[in-house]
Amino acid sequence: MRIPCPFCGDRDAREFVYRGDAAPRRPTADDEFHDYVYLRANPAGAMRELWYHAQGCRSWIVVTRDTRTHEIFGAELAKDAAR
Amino acid sequence: MAEALTIRTRSGFGLATITARKGVAAGAIGQALGLVAPAGPVWTAAEGVMLLGTGPGVWLAHAETVSPFWGDGLRQRLAGLAAVSDQSGACVVLRLSGAGARIALRRGASIDLDPAAFRPDAVVVTAIAHIGVTFWQVDAVPTYDIAVPRSFIGSFHHWLDVTAAAIRLPVPASGEA
Amino acid sequence: MSRLAEGGLIDRTKPLRFSFDGRHYTGFAGDTLASALIANGIRLVGRSFKYHRPRGILSAGSEEPNALVTLRKGDRAEPDSRATTIELFDGLAATSQNRWPSLDFDMMAVNQIAAPLFVAGFYYKTFMWPAKFWEKLYEPLIRRAAGLGALSTLPDPDSYDREHGFCDLLVIGGGPAGLAAALTAGRAGARVILVDEDRIFGGRLLGERYEVDGVAGVDWTNAAVAELASLANVRLLLRTTVFGIYDGREYGAIERVADHLPQPAPGQPRQRFWKIIARRAILASGAIERPLVFGGNDRPGVMLASAVSTYVNRYAAAPGRRAVVFTASDSGWTTAADLMTADIQVAAVIDSRPDGGVSASRLPHDVETFSGAVVVDAHGAPLRGVDIRAADGRIRRIEADLLAMAGGWTPAIGLGANLGSRPVWSESIQGFLIDVAPPGLQPAGAAAGTFSLGAALADGVAKAVSALADLGFAVSAPGRYEASDEPSGVTPLWHVGGSRTKAFVDFQHDVTDTDIALAAREGFVSIEHLKRYTTLGMATDQGKTSQLNGHALLAAATGKSIAEAGTVLSRPPYGPVAIGAFAGHHRGAGFRPERRTPAHDWAASQGASFIEAGLWKRARWFARPGERDWQETVNREVTTTRGTAGICDVSTLGKIEIEGPDAALLLDRLYINTISTLPVGRVRYGVMLREDGLVMDDGTVTRLAEDRFFLTTTTANAATVMQHIDHARQVIWPELDVQAVSVSEQWASFSVAGPEARRLAQRLLPDFDLANSAFPFMAAVETVWQTLPARLFRVSYSGELAYEIAVRADHGEVLARALHTVGQEFGATLYGIEALGVMRIEKGHPGGGELNGQTTAADLGMGRMMSRKKDFIGQVMAARPGLTAPDRPCLVGLRPVDPRQRLCAGAHLLPGGAAAVAANDQGHVTSAAFSPTLGHSIALALLAHGAERHGERIVVHDPVRGPDIEAEICSPVFVDPEGIRVHG
Repeated sequence: MRIPCPFCGDRDAREFVYRGDAAPRRPTADDEFHDYVYLRANPAGAMRELWYHAQGCRSWIVVTRDTRTHEIFGAELAKDAAR
Repeated sequence: MAEALTIRTRSGFGLATITARKGVAAGAIGQALGLVAPAGPVWTAAEGVMLLGTGPGVWLAHAETVSPFWGDGLRQRLAGLAAVSDQSGACVVLRLSGAGARIALRRGASIDLDPAAFRPDAVVVTAIAHIGVTFWQVDAVPTYDIAVPRSFIGSFHHWLDVTAAAIRLPVPASGEA
Repeated sequence: MSRLAEGGLIDRTKPLRFSFDGRHYTGFAGDTLASALIANGIRLVGRSFKYHRPRGILSAGSEEPNALVTLRKGDRAEPDSRATTIELFDGLAATSQNRWPSLDFDMMAVNQIAAPLFVAGFYYKTFMWPAKFWEKLYEPLIRRAAGLGALSTLPDPDSYDREHGFCDLLVIGGGPAGLAAALTAGRAGARVILVDEDRIFGGRLLGERYEVDGVAGVDWTNAAVAELASLANVRLLLRTTVFGIYDGREYGAIERVADHLPQPAPGQPRQRFWKIIARRAILASGAIERPLVFGGNDRPGVMLASAVSTYVNRYAAAPGRRAVVFTASDSGWTTAADLMTADIQVAAVIDSRPDGGVSASRLPHDVETFSGAVVVDAHGAPLRGVDIRAADGRIRRIEADLLAMAGGWTPAIGLGANLGSRPVWSESIQGFLIDVAPPGLQPAGAAAGTFSLGAALADGVAKAVSALADLGFAVSAPGRYEASDEPSGVTPLWHVGGSRTKAFVDFQHDVTDTDIALAAREGFVSIEHLKRYTTLGMATDQGKTSQLNGHALLAAATGKSIAEAGTVLSRPPYGPVAIGAFAGHHRGAGFRPERRTPAHDWAASQGASFIEAGLWKRARWFARPGERDWQETVNREVTTTRGTAGICDVSTLGKIEIEGPDAALLLDRLYINTISTLPVGRVRYGVMLREDGLVMDDGTVTRLAEDRFFLTTTTANAATVMQHIDHARQVIWPELDVQAVSVSEQWASFSVAGPEARRLAQRLLPDFDLANSAFPFMAAVETVWQTLPARLFRVSYSGELAYEIAVRADHGEVLARALHTVGQEFGATLYGIEALGVMRIEKGHPGGGELNGQTTAADLGMGRMMSRKKDFIGQVMAARPGLTAPDRPCLVGLRPVDPRQRLCAGAHLLPGGAAAVAANDQGHVTSAAFSPTLGHSIALALLAHGAERHGERIVVHDPVRGPDIEAEICSPVFVDPEGIRVHG
């Protein structure tokens, strides 16, 4: 599989570390932390997810991938991703 | 057929990581250093100093010969603009040259090195034999410099020596275009 | 000899000697082992998997199920090699498999009598019998009786390489469609990789006698290949099999670099593993001819008609002297013509189609033909004759030593299903075709069901043109090819019926027509269940010749259409791939990369023994002559360090520099304790949590300047912490102006510890004031050693007065030598991580056993370090009831009541007198060592209510290594609990 790193270009997926759903935002209220740490949606279809280009530019990136087909629609730097 | 491949270990160079402060553009970094800082994974050079784009707002500065306190000098020149960390001792830099150099890197890295696709000024941060490396093309021979983390250099040579031996073999083998 | 006098793509000037089962024969360059065996009149090549039936050669390609041999000898012996794909080389040695005592006389052929034992589902059925029967009787019986070749069990002497390919168009298969596609794309300037598993391109053109553009197919192929070779943008890969298609338009392939040689040249890899990234691909993998299912269809001498043509035309090898052709398609007639052209007698052509006989007019001679007739049984091993059932139902025997069967063609689309799309039935070609192809891939030619030569060539061009258009390449004048085409009609005959002997569907796994009927009766009516229950298509050939016949039979048995019954998915690899090819360079010493510290070689010269710590090799201890064992060495290293001084390489610690106006703020959020209050030139110990509240890592933070910090991490977590910091600053708080970079490789660091550490360090840095008042505990400075930048930290892991000094990694060995030289004047010792570990246990510092991903800061006695005045990662979740429960195991020390007894890590803690059951478990020993300082064994442990239980006794239960030991619970700090020494 190839991951389109916004800085480096298309790279072998083995250069990356997978983290998971990019949607959860670190909360400010204490009672929201449980969901933030443990609860994840498991969508069938397009999903924005976090990958770390550990053996590349060391960027955290948000990759949009179809969880059914593994088709990748694009990627952007996490620090630039819409918040 | 056998392809030429020379390998030598470089010495005396300086390396430093430069990371731009938030909101500081490549232009300001380049201006402070007297060259054009690249915005992507490519390198530029002026007066013995190369700036290699290794990440968003991150460069590896490379100089042919430097004093031991080169990093401190860079930090002063970039004060307020970027973080600087000397990495002169962190890597062994090997120079691979000859038609076999491209084959060796192609066998190691999942990177399209064909001249049709690979810019002569491209910088690649990737993994070869599970070892994180940075390499860039020096000339069209082609010649490449590859920076290998010092602790891994023995294992890297294990891969390179075996790969180079196969490339230098005087037997025809397909796939060595 | 069965070699034809002339013709064939063999080099008769290059004879090659080879042996089969110890007998010597001669073939020619260009032969496969199979063609050379045929040319030498060898017909019996192996014994079958379950029934040990004599088997010959069925096919002429990689689909071969029968002719499996063990190729080469000794450590290069490779079992289950297909004789049909082995290129002959001088000195080749092959042996037959699965026979005892010999191929001609196989005792295990009695399995045919015990056939009921081996029916469909026999693996499952034998499990139903009493377990003791299974283990003692059936398993050994089946294991000995059924099987293929045996592994050499010796280490593989060969090396394997890796290669990466990138192209606009990957063409899989160099037959007519593939060549046409490659020419089209190559001429348009696209980057093309053309792959074929054979030693030469041409595919079916090599085994047939058709013409393209008025010249022989072989000549047309040669011209096409010459043109492709002249194009710089085209790469030709022969002897290469694409074995799998993966996500992201990635293709796996194996190039057999040296398998056609007696052995690889020194330094030459045997095979090369390719990962090819192709923007577009054309699957021109052709089609595989189907056998017909009748009694004795597995007998040596019964072959696929296309294979007969190939042996005659390409290899000038006659597979028999008197042939019968049994066909359900027009291509059987082509084989009849090929045989006649080669002056091989054709006794009869049996066409199952009522109107099949019309093709007889195409044959060069008259021959007896039967329309609407079938072969019901074949006799003899090797073949002596066949019984046919004519259209009028009469049985007649025809003598023959060769039966060519043509059941129609199945597109070779296995790769097309690799990403999970199930093929769909096509009525028009009576076969399965790719439905939803992997992204970017199109089948072409016979693989797309376009069987005739002219149409296949045109399809190759058309598919290339469409792929090129997608990519923006202009094709000015696409090639047009005229082929001497012939009809390729087929009326499938899935099952003959009425046979008196076994009719095989899957030759390699010995699955018969009755096995499939039985499976259907027993309720295995899903195609995927049928496959697993009967093992149809699960042998090394993955059912390339058998799959469709089997599925058609199941459909018939269950009253469904083939379209309804469907077919199975195929997964990679398309053909067998050596494990060594996947491993590549990464085996033995190169299994994974190894990291060495800058002073590694010097340490080795000082007698260091090394141990793996993650990827690192770390000095474990430095044995001296006369020391009886490692314990004596480690005791000396500890005692000398605590009594005088010791020097230890700590370069493996992770090191990170953090800079920027918001650096202190980020560090406050990363560590449980406050970092922003740390003065410049000072070091602070810090602990990081994961967001779930458990401890991730610990280390030191040094403030080098107001906005510049230097962090250390444990050796094990260096990469994890770097990733964590990047996540914090790029994902959680991207608004912060803070930069972070790993400098782990830049610095070689050494710890100098012990009462003499100050005097020792002072000798190294004579101009620097090391007095307590000027450079107290937890002070740090950027300084100069000799002419180099250096960093000096007054930190201690051992609990002694200690300094850590760091220089550029490429000067690490020089520093190590200098420290050692000065150290010798003071009687200092070098010490390794074993002594380091003893001293940290003596001091109660958490290490790997305690930082195990399940402990909280409070568990480790550092609960009060957690700031309440700021937000930090893990703060909220660390306050959960489960992580603050008073009965959580927390860090304690243990000392054996009897000081002669030895505590071991991993042992469990039980109250005195309690049974050794999980319900009574109160904790476990996380680290243990012999303390030379105290003269007895000590341990750190995590124990429920541990903090309140100092002074109690507890049982240390170690069911693996020894008897229960009584221990006293104590403070985890065994040595210098007041911390006087570090401040000394």
